[in-house]
Amino acid sequence: MNLNIDVAEGNEKSVVKLSGEIDAYTAPELKDNVLPLTKKEGHQTEINMENVHYMDSTGLGIFISALKSTNENNSTMRLVDLQDRVLRLFQITGLDELITIDTAIRGGNE
Amino acid sequence: MDLKSCVDINQEWDIVKARQLGRAKARGIGFGTVDQARLATAVSELARNLYLYADRGKICFEITDELDRKGLCVISLDVGPGIENISRVMEDGYSTSGGLGAGLPGVKRLVDQFDIHSEEEQGTEIRAIKWLR
Amino acid sequence: METMDTDISNYRNLLRHYIEIRDEQSLYGAEQLSKAFIKDNIPPDEIINLHIQAMSELYPDIPEYFQYSMSFLLEVMIAYGMAHQEYRSLREEQSELKSEIAVAANMQDTLLTTTKPEIDGLDIGVVSVPAHQMSGDYYHFLMGGDDSLGIAIADVIGKGIPAALAMSMIKYSMDSLPEATMSPKTILKNLNRVVERNVDSSMFITMFYAQFFPYENKLWYASAGHEPGFHYNAEAKTFNEIKAKGLVLGVTPDTDYREYERTIHQGDMVILLTDGVTECRQGDRFIETEEVLEIIEKYADYPAQEMVNKVYKHFERMQDFQLRDDFTLIVLRKEV
Repeated sequence: MNLNIDVAEGNEKSVVKLSGEIDAYTAPELKDNVLPLTKKEGHQTEINMENVHYMDSTGLGIFISALKSTNENNSTMRLVDLQDRVLRLFQITGLDELITIDTAIRGGNE
Repeated sequence: MDLKSCVDINQEWDIVKARQLGRAKARGIGFGTVDQARLATAVSELARNLYLYADRGKICFEITDELDRKGLCVISLDVGPGIENISRVMEDGYSTSGGLGAGLPGVKRLVDQFDIHSEEEQGTEIRAIKWLR
Repeated sequence: METMDTDISNYRNLLRHYIEIRDEQSLYGAEQLSKAFIKDNIPPDEIINLHIQAMSELYPDIPEYFQYSMSFLLEVMIAYGMAHQEYRSLREEQSELKSEIAVAANMQDTLLTTTKPEIDGLDIGVVSVPAHQMSGDYYHFLMGGDDSLGIAIADVIGKGIPAALAMSMIKYSMDSLPEATMSPKTILKNLNRVVERNVDSSMFITMFYAQFFPYENKLWYASAGHEPGFHYNAEAKTFNEIKAKGLVLGVTPDTDYREYERTIHQGDMVILLTDGVTECRQGDRFIETEEVLEIIEKYADYPAQEMVNKVYKHFERMQDFQLRDDFTLIVLRKEV
């Protein structure tokens, strides 16, 4: 299984659309795409995860790195449209209280 | 222990010339068909390295005549940048992926004695000896 | 069968026999010879040379063009022979590497070893199996001076050697904590600081720590982002998720953990696990939590150790005996 990463980069805000699986094999590419965005001072990064059906703990590691980077660079990151299985992982690990996760527009997976 | 002769390696065609001379020397000393082929391949690998990586290089041959044995020594000389990390170059699988054939570890396997001297910014001398069986 | 001689006379005789009679037996001999060549590490170019020699001995008037063709073939096989030798030496290196890792895995076993305590009225079962040679899962039992039993179960993100190294660090930090600070929330707070300081930013560890007081039937626990365990209520015959909120270890330097309390009745079970259990896959399908519980319930009448073994065997088989992740399952059953 692969991960498709589609980055629409703007001056102030970038939108990253992911589809596929985030695991040990696809995580490095995700890191290479997301980390540079969070390193831009004041930049807003929105990550759409509507089509991510699976993520393992390696994926969480990438988002933790990105989170630390936003804190250092005064930038922001927001995850939107998470599938239940993926959202659960953020909830179990307590990361949902540190990372901005938009559950309001979460897809109809209930 | 004289009888020294060299081929300058400047173009791909020179690799063939070096092989030819090496094979003739090997046959002259009395090497069998397989060893001739191996020596020619060793010459080829060394010459190809020179052609690809060194500015001015040459392949020389020395007939090594000792009391109890006789052999052919293939010498590769260049004035290129030198090899920074010899043990790395001698690792299996290091250069093979780049389409270099078997690289230096391969040459080492084709002969009986193998030695590299390399000085940064000065050049490299490789001596490979095969003894007559 | 004896291995064959790989010398010229043997090759020549077999070849002659085949050319004259062309029987299957000679070809069987050729097969044996082929294996002997491999065993004696004889490169392909050498075999072709053997063939050339044998042919010229058998047929001195062999046509020149045929001899030339064989010399050509010999030349073609030289590089192949070199590649073969390289492959052999790489294979030797690989087996050296493997045995080094096996030594490391053994060391890990010794370092992280923990004994399952014998406590009256408490039946304990543990199974912990690494997906590869070295495990990123960890569990530990600690007997407190106050008769309490401490149980840690942890999972390092990632697998293999880096995870194993991080696990050893956790183990030593736990050993160095003074016994007075053994409450679940204090242990997690301390370990969090150690992990935060010492590991890479994309690495983290989840841990569930429980402290059981057998005489009071009380379980105190706290979680650092770990996969929730289950409490089996014997009277109601139901499973409840042991929910505990808390951040994974190693993300922020100062994290406080909440401590929870639960009463454990006679016949109740506490089930602790890692995500290797809940993330089992059957083909492309994930196994739902309910299925895990069904299997646990199915074997619930067995003694705890037998029970966890059976559950593990079930999931191992379901995943075609190829674990994707380290698998750890602990069951405590209160007997009286």
